[in-house]
Amino acid sequence: METFINPKSLFHLLLLPCLLLYSSIAYNSSPVEAAMHTNNWAVLVCTSRFWFNYRHMANTLSLYRTVKRLGIPDERIILMLADDMACNTRNKYPAQVFNNENHRLNLYGDNVEVDYRGYEVTVENFLRVLTGRHETAVPRSKRLLSDEGSHILLYMTGHGGDEFLKFQDSEELQSHDLADAVKQMKEKHRFKELLIMVDTCQAATLFNQLQSPGVLAIGSSMKGENSYSHHLDSDVGVSVVDRFTYYTLAFFERLNIYDNASLSSLFSSYNPSLLMSTAYYRKDLYKRRLEEVPVTNFFGSVMETIHTDAAYKALSRRNSGRFEDEMSLDQSVHHIERRMLIKVNDGYEIHDINPEGEEGASKCPWSTFRNKFQKAENVDSLVNYGLVAMIPLLVISTWLVQ
Amino acid sequence: MAEISEAPDSDSSKLFGSDSKAPQRPDSEPEFDPKLMRKTKPGLKRLFLTFSVLFSFLLGFPFLWKSVEIYRSPLPFREIDSLSTQLRSDTLLFPLHFHALFVGFDSDPDRLRWSILSEITKLTSQNPKCSDNYTLSVTVDLGSRCLRGRTSSPHSSSYQCGSVTGGDFVQNDDVAVDERLASVFGGKNNEYSMAVVKGVSERAVVGKYRHAWMVVGDGSDVEMAVVKVAEVLIKVFINGGREEGLIRNEFMPVGADGKIVLSFNLLNADPHDWVYDWDFEKIDDTLLTPMIEALGPVANISVESQVLYHTPKASFSYWNQKLESYVFSTKDLPFFVNSNEWHLDTSIAAGGRSKILQFAVYVPSAKECPLLLQLPNGEISKTNGFISPMWGGVIVWNPQGCLRDSEFKPSAKNIIPIQDLENMFEVFIGQFRQLFGFKSLNVYTGASGDWNLLPSERGFTEWELDVLSRQHTCFNLHSCATTLGSLSRLVQSLPRMIIKDEIGKQVKLSLEAAKLALSNASSGVYESSAASSSQARSLAEDAFFHPSIMSVSYYSFEHCFAVYSPFFLPVSMHVVLAALRELRRYKQEKAKYLAWKAKANTAT
Repeated sequence: METFINPKSLFHLLLLPCLLLYSSIAYNSSPVEAAMHTNNWAVLVCTSRFWFNYRHMANTLSLYRTVKRLGIPDERIILMLADDMACNTRNKYPAQVFNNENHRLNLYGDNVEVDYRGYEVTVENFLRVLTGRHETAVPRSKRLLSDEGSHILLYMTGHGGDEFLKFQDSEELQSHDLADAVKQMKEKHRFKELLIMVDTCQAATLFNQLQSPGVLAIGSSMKGENSYSHHLDSDVGVSVVDRFTYYTLAFFERLNIYDNASLSSLFSSYNPSLLMSTAYYRKDLYKRRLEEVPVTNFFGSVMETIHTDAAYKALSRRNSGRFEDEMSLDQSVHHIERRMLIKVNDGYEIHDINPEGEEGASKCPWSTFRNKFQKAENVDSLVNYGLVAMIPLLVISTWLVQ
Repeated sequence: MAEISEAPDSDSSKLFGSDSKAPQRPDSEPEFDPKLMRKTKPGLKRLFLTFSVLFSFLLGFPFLWKSVEIYRSPLPFREIDSLSTQLRSDTLLFPLHFHALFVGFDSDPDRLRWSILSEITKLTSQNPKCSDNYTLSVTVDLGSRCLRGRTSSPHSSSYQCGSVTGGDFVQNDDVAVDERLASVFGGKNNEYSMAVVKGVSERAVVGKYRHAWMVVGDGSDVEMAVVKVAEVLIKVFINGGREEGLIRNEFMPVGADGKIVLSFNLLNADPHDWVYDWDFEKIDDTLLTPMIEALGPVANISVESQVLYHTPKASFSYWNQKLESYVFSTKDLPFFVNSNEWHLDTSIAAGGRSKILQFAVYVPSAKECPLLLQLPNGEISKTNGFISPMWGGVIVWNPQGCLRDSEFKPSAKNIIPIQDLENMFEVFIGQFRQLFGFKSLNVYTGASGDWNLLPSERGFTEWELDVLSRQHTCFNLHSCATTLGSLSRLVQSLPRMIIKDEIGKQVKLSLEAAKLALSNASSGVYESSAASSSQARSLAEDAFFHPSIMSVSYYSFEHCFAVYSPFFLPVSMHVVLAALRELRRYKQEKAKYLAWKAKANTAT
């Protein structure tokens, strides 16, 4: 028994209940006042590629259009698409993507800003978007910059199964990965409320492992059920929309930004016989009643506004306003001169860099070549020594055999 | 071969043995059974060979283990826990010193002090996170001499007796009085002073520095003055003019790396009607730069500006005949910002974790000009502007003479007049203050009366900057502690995740900055504590959001096992089996030898 109880494991044994105690205290006594709802975000992910998955891209683009129409701006939408439909060589209508066989609406028409396209739609990038752990060089438009007052809509569509979702036919997102990412988001207060909509086969299994409060999730089918496409467009040649998304869009086409239809009316508008599957939603982690939550809380854009009562007049500035004008003219002249000087210096600096760069470039090949040559010399000598060492071994072994 | 040759020997011995003597076998040699005995000692060479292979494997095993060890930079978990418990148990205390001066009153300073303290305790609310440790000293100036009350603070008041008289407050120039009092009181870092004077006209003003004064009429009693003094000390100097003590999180628009980018946008709704431009640099130098410098300890602020065209708004307005203008109401404000057409977030200077605040000037088209904002009570707004917390602010500016648009050439660029631009920027400064939780009005309406708040050229007065520093220090330290706690929990829950050195360094630096902030806060140096706390928070966020902490990219135990077992398992099986077999063989041979030796000994 002594061998098991060494100091390190003892320390860990003592640390674990301390951590548990501390974390329970933290959760009990953290003064979490309800943050004000400040903005809405949407993360729309299409996890399929290839021509026969046209309907998944049409699903995502339809929801993108809806969410933009109801007011969420591009800067608060993260759109992840494989984006290989519109300019696909099999597309009879180039640069056009439809979600209905009447071709009334071109989803790819104008103002579509795709943030992650093609092979950038991976499980790793998706989890990085959710948790916020990007490299430093990733631009702001590709980041989920939500804060603790944000409501986030997360929509995923593609091919899925029991507790997983297939990404681009090469990797999988598992339900525990998603639950882990949501838990980390909640710890860092990256959302106030989160609505997850999944339109895949056996979609409801994807959020089985969620534990974080404030999350509402709806899937298009339950475990063991498939989600079906709505109709086939014989002109384009593939199915153009899925049933769950079709009925969701039908609900939203009746709304504009001033409406306040509730989430419960959205969830009860799904008819299992029309969907050919059961749209299952999970509200045990969501504290508010669904009848009181308007859909624009997630699908639209609500800005809390406060009127500005008065200007901040600094009295002393009133008197010296005229002096300020004259002085500021001088200052602006100096400013312009300063900036011109800086520009001139920059020019000199640029000039200076160029010859160095050229020299460096001219030196560089030679020096790199010499380095390589030296390295090559080293490698050659190593190979030579190795060969030389092997010869006696060869001789001895042939002598032994004989 | 041995068995077969033995049989005829034994046979032959049996054949000849019974009637004749044993054929040529010496009597002294005992029976030799090669199956159970051997004459020579068994060699050790085979054993040595197999065991050397086994030992070389065992010897190399620690090196292999070390080479597949996951590199985890050691994080100071204990210090992180101690920081969290320290912040929670002994709440952050900011030391403050109040000094109340009564001129022209004939009262006992100790009694006054006691009554002010009792009023203060009525007003202070319990603040679980950060509270203030204040001390109070009272001085009564009777002109000829001063009565100083007992103080509990160690440092003495530097007030010179007789420096403030009733005559100073006769003229109604608040700014001059403010300067005079500033020279008297000094206004050091955490001392707040309050002067109550008997005079002719009643007035209550809070100055730009760290003092306030009140002129009461001759007939009023001291008790009313005491109530007002307590109110201004708590509600204004400590809470910054708000009701509750702590700023809510939506009024702290500082990014996780301590930076804010102010993005100023001039939006021309319809360039076919008119196009406006502004002289931004001039205004930036005169109005914005002092404010940005003043807020240096709280946040690192940078400014950008752009002019946009074809930016209509998304809500509707209707024509009001009485006002002869187009009117939009506060109900339309949430839908005013047309994010589809207003491409505001195009900043390239802002990093990933900075906060961008958008300030937009909307120039309406000729179809909607002039455009006025109507408040719910029917009045027209004086500023035509509104804010959205954590987003920014919008002002609607109507070009002059927009009804008579024949004077303006549509394609020419008009510059916004400098006076209008100054007015606009004063509204912007008011909106910026609102985004930080202060009011843009210059009046504080308290329970016991109104106080006039003097504005400062830097946008924030000294005492407001103190309030901001204290609140932001509190918020940043708590955020840093929770972030580091989350990081330590996460790291400990994934024992096979690589933790890079950079993360360890950032955590260490964050803890050092937090300690520095705590020590500065407890000694009353607010500005440097705000700067260190902001640094602590940004380092903690950098460590938590380090891109290498991804749960999909760590080596699970199954991965390690699957890589190494196909080679090591069969090889180790063979090596161990060979060693065991050699050992068993050696033991058997040794037993045989010992048996022969025993027999030989008994025979001789």
